[in-house]
Parts: sequence; structure tokens; C-alpha cells
Amino acid sequence: MPDETVTITIDGNEIEVEPDIYVLEAAERLGIWIPTLCNYRGLTPYGACRLCTVEATKGSRTRLVTSCNYPVSDGLVIRTDTERIRTARRILVELLCARHGKVGVIKQLAENVGVTKPRFGEGNEPCVLCGLCVRACAEMAKAYAIGFAQRGTERIVTTPYNEPSEACINCGACAKVCPTGAIYIEGADEIRHDEIMLGPNSAIAVPTMQAVPNVPALDPEQCLYFRRDGCGICAPNCPADAIDYSMQDEEVEVDCGTVVVATGFQTFDPSVAEQYGYGRFKNVMTSLEFERLSNAAGPTGGDILLHDGTKPESVAILHCVGSRDEHYHRYCSRVCCMYSLKFAHLVREKIGARVYELYIDMRAFGKGYEEFYDRVLREGALLIRGKGAEVTDFATNEAEQGKLIVKCEDTLAAVQRRIPVDMVILSVALEARSDAKEIERLFKLSSSEDGFFLERHPKLAPVETTTDGVFLAGCCQSPKDIPDTVAQGSAAAAQALSLILRGETTMSGACSEINEELCSGCRICMEVCTYNAISYDEEKKVCRVEPSLCKACGTCVAACPSGAIKGKHFTKEQILAEIEGVMQ
Amino acid sequence: MNKLTSTADLDALYSKLQAAHDPDKKAIVICGGTGCLGGGAGVVIETFRKELAERNLNDEIEFRVTGCHGFCERGTLMVIRPEGIFYQRVKPKDVPDIIEQTVLGGKVIERLLYCDESNGKKPIVHEKDVPFYKKQMRLIFGMNGEIDPKVIEHYILHGGYQALAKVLTTMKPEDVIAEIKKSGLRGRGGGGFPTGRKWETCRNAPLGPDKVRYVICNADEGDPGAYMDRSLLEGNPHLVIEGMLIGAYAIGSPEGFVYVRHEYPLAVANAALAIEQAREAGLLGENILGSGFSFDIRISRGGGAFVCGESTALMASLEGQTGEPRAKYVHTVERGLYDSPSNLNNVETWANVPIIMGKGADWFASIGTENSKGTKVFSLVGKIRNTGLIEVPMGITIREILYGIGGGVPGGHRFKAVQTGGPSGGTIVVDEKGATQRVGEPTSAWTGTFLPESLLDLAVDFESLTEAGSMMGSGGMIVMDETSCMVDVARYFLTFLTEESCGKCLPCREGLRQMLAILDRICEGKGEHGDIELLEELSNVIMDTALCALGGTAPKPLLSTIRYFRDEYEAHIYDKKCPAGVCKALITFSIDPQACTGCGVCAKACPPDAIYTRTPAAGETAPKLRKGRELHDIDPDKCIKCGACFDACKFDAVVKE
Repeated sequence: MPDETVTITIDGNEIEVEPDIYVLEAAERLGIWIPTLCNYRGLTPYGACRLCTVEATKGSRTRLVTSCNYPVSDGLVIRTDTERIRTARRILVELLCARHGKVGVIKQLAENVGVTKPRFGEGNEPCVLCGLCVRACAEMAKAYAIGFAQRGTERIVTTPYNEPSEACINCGACAKVCPTGAIYIEGADEIRHDEIMLGPNSAIAVPTMQAVPNVPALDPEQCLYFRRDGCGICAPNCPADAIDYSMQDEEVEVDCGTVVVATGFQTFDPSVAEQYGYGRFKNVMTSLEFERLSNAAGPTGGDILLHDGTKPESVAILHCVGSRDEHYHRYCSRVCCMYSLKFAHLVREKIGARVYELYIDMRAFGKGYEEFYDRVLREGALLIRGKGAEVTDFATNEAEQGKLIVKCEDTLAAVQRRIPVDMVILSVALEARSDAKEIERLFKLSSSEDGFFLERHPKLAPVETTTDGVFLAGCCQSPKDIPDTVAQGSAAAAQALSLILRGETTMSGACSEINEELCSGCRICMEVCTYNAISYDEEKKVCRVEPSLCKACGTCVAACPSGAIKGKHFTKEQILAEIEGVMQ
Repeated sequence: MNKLTSTADLDALYSKLQAAHDPDKKAIVICGGTGCLGGGAGVVIETFRKELAERNLNDEIEFRVTGCHGFCERGTLMVIRPEGIFYQRVKPKDVPDIIEQTVLGGKVIERLLYCDESNGKKPIVHEKDVPFYKKQMRLIFGMNGEIDPKVIEHYILHGGYQALAKVLTTMKPEDVIAEIKKSGLRGRGGGGFPTGRKWETCRNAPLGPDKVRYVICNADEGDPGAYMDRSLLEGNPHLVIEGMLIGAYAIGSPEGFVYVRHEYPLAVANAALAIEQAREAGLLGENILGSGFSFDIRISRGGGAFVCGESTALMASLEGQTGEPRAKYVHTVERGLYDSPSNLNNVETWANVPIIMGKGADWFASIGTENSKGTKVFSLVGKIRNTGLIEVPMGITIREILYGIGGGVPGGHRFKAVQTGGPSGGTIVVDEKGATQRVGEPTSAWTGTFLPESLLDLAVDFESLTEAGSMMGSGGMIVMDETSCMVDVARYFLTFLTEESCGKCLPCREGLRQMLAILDRICEGKGEHGDIELLEELSNVIMDTALCALGGTAPKPLLSTIRYFRDEYEAHIYDKKCPAGVCKALITFSIDPQACTGCGVCAKACPPDAIYTRTPAAGETAPKLRKGRELHDIDPDKCIKCGACFDACKFDAVVKE
């Protein structure tokens, strides 16, 4: 509470408030309900609906005022529930019902004020002329694209000359504030399968339900405060005062001795494989997109729906899209067979649709996996051994009209099949991230031909890299499922921990050493060191070897053009002495 | 004319004009106000100009076109000076006679004289003897009959801008405010707020972002039937300009606006010309008369909305936004135009200022009543013999206005009610015991009320009218006789207000619409029991909750007509009859066989041919029926209730009931 306050009384309750607020807000703080329709926190009050009328007594004068824009003053006495006010509210709501009585919000309002039989009829016009959209467009978006036109009973909300507006920035603020849904965004209710978020989102939102940390994040590219210097409604409304528009990205430097690289994977983008129609057909989606669709925290609440919102009656799941394929990735992505079976199980269970699984081999290698495969077979999924070759919408008979037709060769039955389905799920390959090369450079990692990072030894050192102190975990090293990832992660953590907890490390006496006086700062040694053991001192302009990392391989010793590097235990003198000893 | 750089220059010009002015010179002064122009004055004026030029009389005879003279019933009006001979209903064909016989020959043309119908039709020669003018006190309007509004020298000749000179040289702004307060001047737009107090509040209010204060003249004048402001602005714009100058000096404002409604092109033209001439003369602009005070005025036109007469809607419109009112919990004197302190006054209020400052507050306060000083201009219209603009001292009774000046109700009809103030009017009635009853809370300019016969002795005064439940209003005075249906009148005003509602707030937009729907039903004979109570219920809520005075006072005419003419409503609803014979659905026309002569004039007049002929039925007498003729009768299915037969029948055989 700021220093200057005023005290007002509402329905006999005293409250101390800042002097620059309106009566409505004071009533809200006291928990006293006053009906409103044209008011919205964050927009300037308009005073058009008159529903918030209250009796205000200042000194000896009492009059009826609208609480949404009547300023508080010391000693003000407000009454919200007199017979006069109740009568006024009822008649006002009856007048609203004449044009809007069937609209949800107005029906609710009628119930709240006790209007059971509106005497002027019940219309169903959605726009109640509250003006919230106009004010939102003016104050939040600062676009001024819509406004009121005509006068009196002809009044409407529209764009200038009723023409499509060039000033509209498509922010959706108008639809958001509209109390009756009279303004809506066209296409907003479509299920868009091709976006991971599957639908439009607010500029400030928790990215996904399972986000870590599970708090909202503000997107400056969508946010009207940043785009238009408008809105700004979230910050003052946050009870924890947690929103700070001036926050900048921070670059934090952390000194650490161990790093676990767990940068994950990305899915193969099947648009390059045009035969599957991804991006062309609305109901062809990747496995990750289907995963989001069927998630209870997803945009449909877990309902499996086609693009137009209806339930599919048949689904085809195509294995090995991008994997085991000499055009894209030769390797097997390991996880897809099992999750594809999971999808089949989900579809059968949730909507009972027909499910076709088109596979090359069924890889059910893990604990309980084979048993699950059996179960899915018994549940009635139709498994066809043959990679899906093409998805088309060209129908050749009536049964195929309006469907997606999956063409394949059923190798076990030795026939070619055309399978008409409603929805196609592509089990896409797991591949190395497109930015994996940058990580490699950073940590001096190596990667195999397919882009996944190389471990030090495939059998005996699966989580270590050639650089001491840098470990690998998860799919950045190779595709694997969750149990394996967890196991690998634990291993990497354990190894990292053991390094940290040791406190001191034993080094072999053999390591390289750079003579700073001879070093010219050419950094050729840095390039050849595979263990990332050499660093460059910017101030002194010379290189230095980190003894704990050096493996005494001697490559830098040979490479140094100035002869500035000495390999301890392998100095010229020591080698010559060894040779001498052997010659004797 | 040369720029006046000091009050000495103004004095010198005044002396020069006075010296050159010959009061005995022959002059033809003709009314060029919109009313007379509408009646053909334009052709008369052109004819005069042509005739005078052809006869080479332009040096000998001065021809002057002035603003509205006020006696609009009798236009085209003119006065021959120096004798002051008053001619009315002048036509172009009268022009040669006037020039030859009266102006040159000194003889009076009887047929052009005004005849006093209340005094045996006696013809009156001189303007000053015309009863219409005699009973008035034309402080503001007097000059309308003398000066050409397009010539600033005329205004100066009659002492114009002297008050301004006195204020600028001898008074401090605070002194001016004190003088206005002392005079007791109250707003003439209908609100009646003490002008001096308003100026003081505006002067003392903290500045807004522009760091200026504004003065505004409200010339929106939307009330149907009211045209006082129009005639003032057309006929004597300098009076208003001088008033604004003095006000701006007192308040400390460098910029003023005149907001004129779109439908007043002549007022806009004359005011614009006057402003330009005043600028040229150095009376507007920088360093006025060398005083260091600078002030200029801009004219802004309305867009055709009655609601823009409301102060906050007017200011929104001035700013270029939609003319919609806003809450007035913070007054416009403190935060108005462009969020700055703004002083808005009506045209007539501004016009009073130079007169007060010229002759002194004490003199002004000696006119009128205890609480209402000075004069008020009314537009007297409707069922009254002498329609026109009148200026009377406060305290005169309504009866005196209607009968002494207005000449009473013509055509042998009976007075029924007079509506004062505008479309948001009400009625006052006094019951048998003489007690007055108040209708609703008195609010502001927009209320006008109906006064029945019993209340005609009320004095025109802010307080006494309010106490009796009526209101001064802006000055419209509409007279009604027994041929006016009060239900229909209420419906007329409600239709007007429904169309003019800005539509922002719910009670006005939807409430008035529902009330009008009920009234329409009643006038169509579909009224139901409970309608009157429903109308009252709606009215109370609308008055309680509307955002501005348009909605807030809209139910008043209706409420007062219900209250004092409830019998008419009940006749419409229960008997399905319109006692005044106005509401078409409720009246029937029939032909009385006792009076019908069979002449057939009615049948000729009937547009849908609804009149047929017949022989008298068995046992029916037709005493007036001429030989060889047949009785006429009206087919009710075809009758469209136009009343043509009623007007055509010379034998009163057509019955309207």
C-alpha cells in the first residue's frame, strides 16, 4: 500500500485503498459481487453496460454511478444491494435478453440477478456491443483496426467501410476479451496436426504440460508488449509479481570440471520423402505428432481426431520411415517398432478403429516387449510385412473415395495391397540433431558417419569420450529407448560424480609441457591434440598444456614447428639414452 | 479596414463611424434570417437590389440585410427607417410599390401592415407598436434588426467591442469573474449553472498535457423547435465573439472553438466571416488592441447528431472522435477537451457577457427575479398565433408570453399544453387544490416539460419552474391545442430520441427502443393492460442508469404526459380510441346523414375512392339532402384515414372520432 490512502465503505464494510482506483476494484477486494459485462481488467473502463451501477453517497448527496469508472475518495459510502439497484439490474438484464437472451453469458447473468421471465423476448445476437474488442485492439494491440459504426440501435462493431482491415495484426486480442464469443478466429478450432504445439497458443504460456520448469514463458515475438508497445496486462496481474519485461537473456559462465553431453535427437522430417504425402495430406502425421495428439495434456485432451475434428475409422502405421533406408539413414532407430505397437494398442483401445502396421521386421528385444507384441496381435491389429511404399488420395473405386490409400507389398502373402485408411502415422527415424556439429566442436567430440557422438569404446566405455571429463548419455550417442537412456544417464552421472568426489586425480608423470619462451602462439598443437588438453592464453599469447587431460601421446611434440613442446619422460635426451641402453 | 492596435484606435473608429452615420437617412432594413429566407426573402432582396440599382437610388437609400427580426410568423419582414414603418409578408411584387410609395413618397401601404387580431384587427404602422415586440425586452436580440452581420463596422457603430476594450484596459481577469458572478448570469443552454462560478473553476483547474485552457461555444442546438442560437449566430455573431473574448481573458485561455451543428450553413458562414473580419481588425489573434492578450477562434461543424449537444460528446466530436458522451465524474471544466480545463457555454450565455460588462452587473441583476437574472430568448412555436423568437425578462408568466406576446391559440381552438425545453420534457399539472406535483428529479438542459392550462401563471424562472416540476430548458416553447394527442406527442419525442441516441449505453439504446415499441402498439390500438405500468417501470430505470442526459431525461415527456393526461392513455389502451383524433389506427371517419347534402365534394377528395353513395335506409331521415342527390358514406375497409374528406366537407357532415 502506498503512503497516501483513502478509506471508503461498501455495504457497511470499510476498506483502505489507493486513491487512484475505481470503486469496482475496491468491491472486488472485499469480495462483494457487482455484475459487469463491458469491463475487463487491464483495459480502460467504458461504462456502457451500466450493470455495475451502485449508489454513491458523498457528503449529503447520493446518486447512482457506475462503479467501474467512479473514482474512490475519502469518506465515500457505497451501497450495492438496495432495492433501487436490484430493480435497475433486473430491468437492464431484461433489456439485454431482448437481443441476447439465448447467449450463454447473458443467460448466466439473468440467473445471477433473478430474471426468470424476460418480458421483452429472448434474442440470440452474439455481439452485446460491450466495446471490449475495440478497446483491446486500441490499447493492447495498438492496431485500431476495429471500431463502432452507426448510431443508436443500428450500432455495430466493424472495420472502416466494412472492408478487410490492413491494420489488423492477427493478434487475437479481440477474440480473447470478447465475453460472448461473438468474435472468433477463423480456423482456430481446426486440429492442426503439423504443429507440435497443435494449435495456436498464447504469447505467455507453459510451453507443454510436462515442461521443466513448469512455469509460463513469454514469447517476445508474439507478445503485444514487445511487438506493439501495448497490452502489458500480465505483469500487474501476477500475484507473485513474477513477470519482468526487462529481463534479458543471461550468459552465465560456469567453471566446471565435468560435462555430461545429453543433447538428444531430432526426428526425421518426412517431407523429403514425398511419396508419403507429409505436408500434402492433412491427416498424415509423424509419430511424435501423434504422441502429442493422443496425450491427455494435448490440444484435444487425448481424443484421437482427424484434421476436421472427426474420429478416424482406420489408421495405418508405417514403420521405418527414414530408417533402414539407403536414401536417408541406414541404421535402425531401435524404438519405433515398440512405440508403433503402442500406438496400435492405443487406437484399438480408445476408438476401436482398424489398425494396420506396415513393418519390415518386428524388433521386440527388451523386457516384456515380445509379450506386448503378442498382445497387440491378439487385440486385432493387422500386421503386414512390407514397408509402406506410397500414400495417395487418388481413389480407384468407391471404397477408396475420400480416404488416404497406403500402397505396399505384402511380402508374406506375395500381393500388392492398396489399403484405404483415414489417418496415416509415419514412424520416423531418430537422427542426430542438426546442431550436433557445433557441440562436437565445442567439446572436441567425434561422431560416426550418421552424426551420433562417438563413445570411447563401444563395449567397454559406452559413456566416456576421448576427452577426459566429458561424458555422453542418451540419444545423442545413438537411438535408444527410455530404460536404456536412463541407464546410460545414470552411468554417465556416476562416472562424473566419481571424478568430482575424488577431489584429486592421479596423473601419469608422462605428459607434454610447453616452453613459453619458445612458443610462438601458432596453436598448431591445439589442432592436433585429440584430448582437448591444450589451451591458448590470450594475454600471454602462448599455449599451455593441461596435465590432467594430457595422455602423453606426443603428437603435439612432433607437430610443434618451434620445438617448444617437451614430452616428459620422452625428451630427446631420454629417448637417446634409451636407445643407447638398448644398443649395449 | 485598418488593424486596430489599441483601444484608442477603436475609440477613434467609433467616433468616425458615429460622425458618418446619418440617423435620418432613408434606409430599407430587411430580414435575411433563415426563416424569412425560407419564406422567399431571397427573391425579395434581389428584387430590391435590382430596382434600387435601376432607379439609381443606391446613394440616396441605404439597403441593409440584417439577421432574424424574430416575428417569424409574418416573414418576409422589413422596416423602413427613419420612420420605423413595419411591413410584413412582403412579396417580390410589392417591391416597386414600397420604393415609390413608402420610401420616396412617404405613404404607408395598408395591405402590408401588421393587423392586431386581438384588438379588432387594427393595423399597426410602427415596429415599436407591434404588440409582439412591445412586450419583449430585446437586450440581446435588439441589434438583430439593425446591423448587417457581414459588416463589422455596423457592430462597432452600435458600440460593439467597447466592453472588451474596457475589460482589457481596466480590469484584471479575477475582476471580470467577480463581475459576472455578481450579475447572477446563469447558463442559457438549459442547465442554468452559475456562469461566474464555472469560469472560476476553469480558471483555477490544473492544466492538462497541452498546458492551455479552452473556451467553447455550444451552438449545436438540437432541440426540435428551437432556433434561438441559430438566429443569434446568423444575425449578430460579433456579440458572441466579444463574449468569448471577454470570457477567454477572464479564464486565461488562448484558444476558443465554436461548435456549430452541421445543419446551420448560414450561421457557419456568417460566423466565419465575422471571425475573419475581427482578425483583420486586430480584435482576434495576437496582442489584441495592444493589451498583450492573445486569443483566436476556430469553427468546428457537427456531423448531424443531437447527442453532440452534450458537453462530453461535443468535446469528443471536436477532437475528431465519435460524438459519444463519457462519464462526467470528473467535470469538463477540469478535464475536458484534450484532457484540459474547458469552459463550455451556450451561444446565448456568451451573448449576455458583453452586455453585462458594458452596462454593469448591478444593472443586469436588476432585471429578472431573485434567482434568475436577465432575459431569456424563447422560440415560440406550435399552435400559437404569433410564432417566432421572443426575448423576455425572467419572471414574466407563461400566460403573458402565450397570450400577451403569442396572441393565443388560433383557429378557435382551445389551449391544451405548452412544452418548454426540448425533447426531454415533462408536464406539470396542478390538481384541483392547486398543489403542484414534481415529476422526477430535475437534472439539466435536456429536460423540457409540458404545462397544462392550470399552470400558466408560473413565472419563467429557473427555480419556480423546477419547483413546479418543470424546467426552463434551452428555450423551445411548443404550444399544443386540443387537436394534439399527448400520446402521439410523447411518441414523437421518443422516436426522435431513439434515433438520436448514440447507442453507447444499454438503458438508452435498448430501453428507449422498447418504450417506443410499446407506444407504437398503443397508438395502433394494440395496447394492453399493464403497458402504462411497464412504461413507468422502464422509465425509472432508464433515468437512473443512463450514461448521459439524453437517455437520462428521455422518459420525462412520457412520464409527465402519463401523469397528467393518463385518461388519454387509457382511452387508447382500453377504449381503443384517440380522443384528439390523431392516431390513425384509432380514429374512424363517418358521414352523418343528418348533415350530408349529397354534394359529392368528399368523394372527389378521397384518394382511395372509399366514399360511395346510397339512398337513405328505411326509417332514416336525411334533412339536408339536396334534391336529386344521394347520401354519401365511407367504406371503412378502404378508408386510409387521411382526413381529406374531413377537410373538404363544408357542411361538417364528416365525423372524426
